[in-house]
Amino acid sequence: MPVWIDPDLCNGCHGSRQPPCLRMCPGDLIVKDQTANKAYLKYPEDCWDCLPCVKVCPEEAIEFHLSYQFGAKGAKLIPHVHRTNDTITWELIDIHGAKETFTVPTKLIPVAIDEKIEEAEQAIDFSI
Amino acid sequence: MAEQKVIHTDILIIGGGTAGCMAAVEAKERSPKSSVTILEKAHVDRSGCLAGGMNAINAYINKGETVDRFVDYVRSDACGLIREDLVRTMAELFEYGVKRVEKWGLPILCDEKGDYIPRGRWNIKINGESLKPILARAARSAGAQIYNWIVVTNLLMDQDRVVGAVGFSLRSGALYVVQAKATIVATGGAAGLYRPNNVGDASHKTWYSPYNTGAGFAMGIRAGAEMTSFEMRYVALRTKDTIAPTGTIALGVSAPQINAKGERFMATRYADIGGDGAPTPYRTYGPLMEMKEGRGPVYLDTRGLSAEQTRALRAAYLDMYPSMVLYWAANGIDPAKVPIEVQTTEPYIVGGHCQSGYWVDVNRKTTLEGLYAAGDVSGGAPYKFVSGCWAEGVMAARAALDGMAQSPLPHVPESQIRLEEERAFAPLKRHLRHGVTPPDLEARLQKIMEQYAGGASTYYEMNEEMLGIARTHLAQLPTECEYLVASDLHQLMKAHEVIDRVDVAQVLVEHLSFRKETRWPSYQTRVDYPKRDDANWLKFVNSRRDKSGTIEMFTRPY
Ligand SMILES: Cc1cc2nc3c(=O)[nH]c(=O)nc-3n(C[C@H](O)[C@H](O)[C@H](O)COP(=O)(O)OP(=O)(O)OC[C@H]3O[C@@H](n4cnc5c(N)ncnc54)[C@H](O)[C@@H]3O)c2cc1C
Ligand code: SF4
Ligand code: SF4
Repeated sequence: MPVWIDPDLCNGCHGSRQPPCLRMCPGDLIVKDQTANKAYLKYPEDCWDCLPCVKVCPEEAIEFHLSYQFGAKGAKLIPHVHRTNDTITWELIDIHGAKETFTVPTKLIPVAIDEKIEEAEQAIDFSI
Repeated sequence: MAEQKVIHTDILIIGGGTAGCMAAVEAKERSPKSSVTILEKAHVDRSGCLAGGMNAINAYINKGETVDRFVDYVRSDACGLIREDLVRTMAELFEYGVKRVEKWGLPILCDEKGDYIPRGRWNIKINGESLKPILARAARSAGAQIYNWIVVTNLLMDQDRVVGAVGFSLRSGALYVVQAKATIVATGGAAGLYRPNNVGDASHKTWYSPYNTGAGFAMGIRAGAEMTSFEMRYVALRTKDTIAPTGTIALGVSAPQINAKGERFMATRYADIGGDGAPTPYRTYGPLMEMKEGRGPVYLDTRGLSAEQTRALRAAYLDMYPSMVLYWAANGIDPAKVPIEVQTTEPYIVGGHCQSGYWVDVNRKTTLEGLYAAGDVSGGAPYKFVSGCWAEGVMAARAALDGMAQSPLPHVPESQIRLEEERAFAPLKRHLRHGVTPPDLEARLQKIMEQYAGGASTYYEMNEEMLGIARTHLAQLPTECEYLVASDLHQLMKAHEVIDRVDVAQVLVEHLSFRKETRWPSYQTRVDYPKRDDANWLKFVNSRRDKSGTIEMFTRPY
């Protein structure tokens, strides 16, 4: 599974119906279970590994994994977004446990915790 | 009947990506009173090719270079055939677009003197992780009306004039009917026509955005727009498994290609056409032949990089393709010690790297009245990349504003809207116990294309007979689409993605069959016509589908 939402860390962005992870996925792959108040990746086979979901999660609840076919478990790459100073610090841990960090400049555009979408509230539930 | 939302706008932009956002800003700034509406299938903040970010602007006239030399370079890189008018006009606007995006907040790397730092001849380095949110914010602040999660399914027509588009909301299931005085299509290129290289949970680990599925091409094809050069497919040379762009390594740290024996085969076998600097199709074809003839795998030779260089290389990938960095960490790869293995991708149709797309005039107007095209969906101008997509967005917006002023009020018959509504929602309404699901139909389409229309497993090679079989099999698919079922709105989107790709694939096969030479080896390897034939084929292969569904093929002079 390319990205994995840790249910222990996801707080569902409180009552958000359209939390950032769900909105920023270009493939519409993440859904939120409103009853459990947790988001999850519904279509892992369609994930592009592009990481907006990981970067926008305020709780850092989304782990970035490689598809297992590409390499050993254990290595980690974690982006820490510094919302105050326009940088991202990437924490890289290789399979031997060696750690390295990279701080890269960027331009951070704040992402709201929810977004009202016209008609979304009365959305028809087609799911089976 | 679905809930219906009717919107009237001066300018409609289909696809709020790289080109679409720039077009919106240009239109609003030039004509603040005009209304500009964007329909986007995802969320503009992170949709399309730029979702993961970018680390370079791949087309820019660096200090000491000129537009003329850029046009010459692109012509030779595209093996002699380009629309010079389009390439020139876009190059003239590179600076305009880049400077604006810098003003909106994009960090561009500069030297002590404040000049952009080149990466290779035509590229500049950026920290573009947030490039897409920056563009989206600019479009929003400019006053464009943005509707996210609207999957556009077709153009609205008033006779032969395009007067807007129809789509459905992924969130509410409402039908969106947008009537416009001028329409700009900017939906990007098409991935997913061929079987992907990776399987299982990595089957969308393609280089091109798997969510750009050729919708804009398909709408145009169905409406009778003229298309050009689909046969110039794009087959990219990418890193093994992760399919990350190689320019970061090849240009960033000047690593040459080597084969399994350590031989610099581009320098030896392709010296006559430029060695490691050969036209891009040859830099895919060269390594491919090494593999085919048993001298693979092929690598980019990064050995001997300094610790500082490898760190910079990883940092550069973090801005665009973080999985590359994790892959090295997970496989214990140090690029300074081992060379980086490369492979070739599944073929895509991308007007921004190659030149497949709408046939447009110099102002980016398509052959349909009222419709303009910009970015990867527009043809004739390869080497476009982000900066060329911005340039085309700007030109399309200007032309659309001019065109709109002269256009009469549209008249759209209600019957057309009802027909499209029926077509759009049909997969949701079918309750077939044995219907065809979108993944089933996708697999069928990809199998045909892979095996008979020059997929990776045949080294992208094809002949007339194979293409004939592809044509026959593909001819069944439009009827098969009538069995498509969708259980929810997400599946409905997937259903339309595959319907669109079937229309694109049929046109693609006709283009591949029509060009009886091999101009772009690997993109278009005709084993039955293996040579480039300038005497007969230095011209554009174009197509138009008529109302009966027949695809008419013809040429246009260089
Ligand atoms: C991984 C990758 C790395 C790249 N790296 C670089 C680089 O470093 N430098 C560089 O210069 N170029 C790079 N490129 C090329 C460049 O990104 C593209 O050429 C450019 O972004 C294409 O712009 P576009 O507007 O045509 O398409 P996009 O920006 O992809 O926009 C198309 C939009 O249309 C939307 N859409 C699609 N279908 C529909 C529909 N049916 N209804 C509504 N909306 C729809 C999509 O969601 C998307 O938002 C890269 C491309 C990729 C894929
Ligand atoms: S953004 Fe993070 S915390 Fe919020 S719903 Fe998504 S995973 Fe959970
Ligand atoms: S990595 Fe990209 S495609 Fe995958 S779930 Fe996250 S945002 Fe969506």
